[in-house]
Amino acid sequence: MPFHFANVLVFAAIAILFVLGSLVGGHFLRPHNPTAEKEMIYECGEKPIGQAWYNFNPRFYLIALVFVIFEVEIAFMYPVASVYRSFIEKGQGMLAFLEIFVFVAILAVGLAYVWAMGDLEWVKGLKQDVLKAAREAREQPRKAA
Amino acid sequence: MDNLASLRFFLPESILTVAVLAMFVQDLLTRRSARRVVYLTAGALVWLAIVAFATLQMPAGTASLFGGLLQHDPLRMFFTWVFLGATLLTIVIAPNSGQISPNRLGEFFALLFALVLGMYLMASASDLLTIYLSIETVSLVSYVLTGFRRGDRKSNEAALKYVIYGGVASGVMLYGMSLLYGLFATTRILGEAGIAAQLSDVTSRIFLAHAFGGQPAAQLALIVAIVFVLAGVGYKIASVPFHMWCPDVYEGAPTPFTAFLSVGPKAAGFAVAIRFFFATFERQLPDGAFAQVGDVPWPAIIGIISAATMTLGNLTALVQTNLKRMLAYSSIAHAGYLLMGLAAASAAGVQSILVYLVIYLFMNVGAFLVVIAVANARGGEQISDFRGLSVAAPVTALTLAVFLFSLTGLPPLAGFTGKYLVFAALVQRGGFWNVILAVIGVLNSAISLFYYAKIIKAMYLDEPLDRTPMRVPRLYTGLLVALAVPLLVFGVYWGPLVRWASTAFGGPTPI
Amino acid sequence: MVGPVHYLVLAAILFALGAAGVVIRRNAIIVLMSIEIMLNAVNLSFLAFSRFPLVPVAPMQAGIYAGQVAVFFVIAVAAAEAAVGLAIVIAVFRSRTSVHVDEFDTLKL
Repeated sequence: MPFHFANVLVFAAIAILFVLGSLVGGHFLRPHNPTAEKEMIYECGEKPIGQAWYNFNPRFYLIALVFVIFEVEIAFMYPVASVYRSFIEKGQGMLAFLEIFVFVAILAVGLAYVWAMGDLEWVKGLKQDVLKAAREAREQPRKAA
Repeated sequence: MDNLASLRFFLPESILTVAVLAMFVQDLLTRRSARRVVYLTAGALVWLAIVAFATLQMPAGTASLFGGLLQHDPLRMFFTWVFLGATLLTIVIAPNSGQISPNRLGEFFALLFALVLGMYLMASASDLLTIYLSIETVSLVSYVLTGFRRGDRKSNEAALKYVIYGGVASGVMLYGMSLLYGLFATTRILGEAGIAAQLSDVTSRIFLAHAFGGQPAAQLALIVAIVFVLAGVGYKIASVPFHMWCPDVYEGAPTPFTAFLSVGPKAAGFAVAIRFFFATFERQLPDGAFAQVGDVPWPAIIGIISAATMTLGNLTALVQTNLKRMLAYSSIAHAGYLLMGLAAASAAGVQSILVYLVIYLFMNVGAFLVVIAVANARGGEQISDFRGLSVAAPVTALTLAVFLFSLTGLPPLAGFTGKYLVFAALVQRGGFWNVILAVIGVLNSAISLFYYAKIIKAMYLDEPLDRTPMRVPRLYTGLLVALAVPLLVFGVYWGPLVRWASTAFGGPTPI
Repeated sequence: MVGPVHYLVLAAILFALGAAGVVIRRNAIIVLMSIEIMLNAVNLSFLAFSRFPLVPVAPMQAGIYAGQVAVFFVIAVAAAEAAVGLAIVIAVFRSRTSVHVDEFDTLKL
């Protein structure tokens, strides 16, 4: 039993040595010639703006909340999928399918509600505002005339 | 019973699930309509009527559903009627309360039905897992409904406190359940290899005694597990030490929901407690009495919690100035009185709880209804807002007096019946500590008179705030009278109620 | 050899850490995270009892799987609780731009 973990230990040691070795080797081999651009924080080629520590937009949370529910749904689908074959053999395939279908249908109504209430829009209510502005713009000339 | 056969007994729950979805869809369909409040209320009432009809059609007797996950029995049926009553009152009160915006009424009803579904499941859960899931269903929906008024600071804050306390309580309860699962290698309470069967089985008791190197260790593990499970139940019924959420949530939540919360989930919590303790640790003898199994001192634990709960609730209620908050502490105190019936550990004790819960439904919802009416007309829930109510709205003031005196437990009102039955069950059970507990209960009732009488004094004796007649919706006046009259009737004629309770529990059919 | 006791002790430690986090930490989001730790400690305890039963049970008896089934449901409930909790935290943040539980004192004893 202890030997199984010896494999892990050897892998861990090699991994650590590899990273340390390449960093230390690179430090001695590379030329040292810093400029202002090189000292800058790397952000995929963009110029960094402001601090890295700031509050996330709460809209991310709202999308994430809806996502979490549907993510966990998979946890319940998977066990059913793994024993579905035995249900078919017993001739109850349709029953198992219907049970899972009801489960997903309930969640789908929830998603439809969220969608219809506009909570999936990135900026809630923007669409209505734009439409209203367009309507007013249309009606403005008529009133003037 | 297998899954397909069980569906017949699961009909009310299935209809409730459909009702939740239907209310959401109806909410979307009627969004543009000007008469949406009428449509939505009518829709909710129709669905409730269908559920009630399905509940009425349920076969009598006992049955184990879904392989032992749920239990169908008279106790479950009794509680479903309490839930339906509370839901009906909430649906009727909510649209006129001015606390729930018409734009979100459909959402409110849909969530309310989800909550009722959770309570139905609580009343029949007979497996540790279904107990946990049903309690969580009720809790999660309660959090959302407490924070229903999104822009309101009080409502938000109450919801956040509720979530945090609720999360901790359910975590503790779950930990206790994992210990029980470890001790018995099953989550079923009833049935062949269930916890109850194992506890009364001599060979497995000998095993328990030796499992952890001796009796005390196994006994201790069992008691710790039960105390932890009690945390979850105690949180739902708002007993010490899990009562802290109660005043904040009652004050912050929309009042129609507060009224519901003080009755429905509390009753459901007692359903779980009764089923869990009586199925697991008690065995009914042929003569109907109960004998303890497994040497777990659960009546003593409950008795201590009961005494602490009612004393703390009543003493804190004395210094409140906000009526909603005072009623919250009073509801904590009532949880204490109800726990006394459980501590009696007898059929009479449980029957007294059932009777008390029905009476409590009438008097507490009634009191909250008056709070809504006064808050809408006078813009406040403080006791000072009730000054001279007898002049401005005589009927409302009179009914509130009936509700408050009934909550105190003064004869000839129904509150007295409930308390009398609880005390009688405790004294009948006998024993020094049971009598002490009953004495503490009587003393507490006397304390409670002080703060209830404070409101009555404000209404009848204090200088009126406003002499002009207060506008109370006719619907509310009718409801108040409809709630107050049964309290007068049950105060002198409680036979049918007691008979109904005795068919629900401890009668010819053992649980 | 790692046995049931190790897992159970780890579960107890995690549970205590979660409970301590709820009591000590002042940021509402971290309090919710602590509650998640408590629930996951319970999951570990369920799984340990399921893998190493204390009571002698037949290998294919349903009780063995009951603990593992419970874990699935606890995960789902924990996700739902986190969703509701975070939604409420956002609502609170919008109305008072703070998530520190010490500052929530509009409702007092």
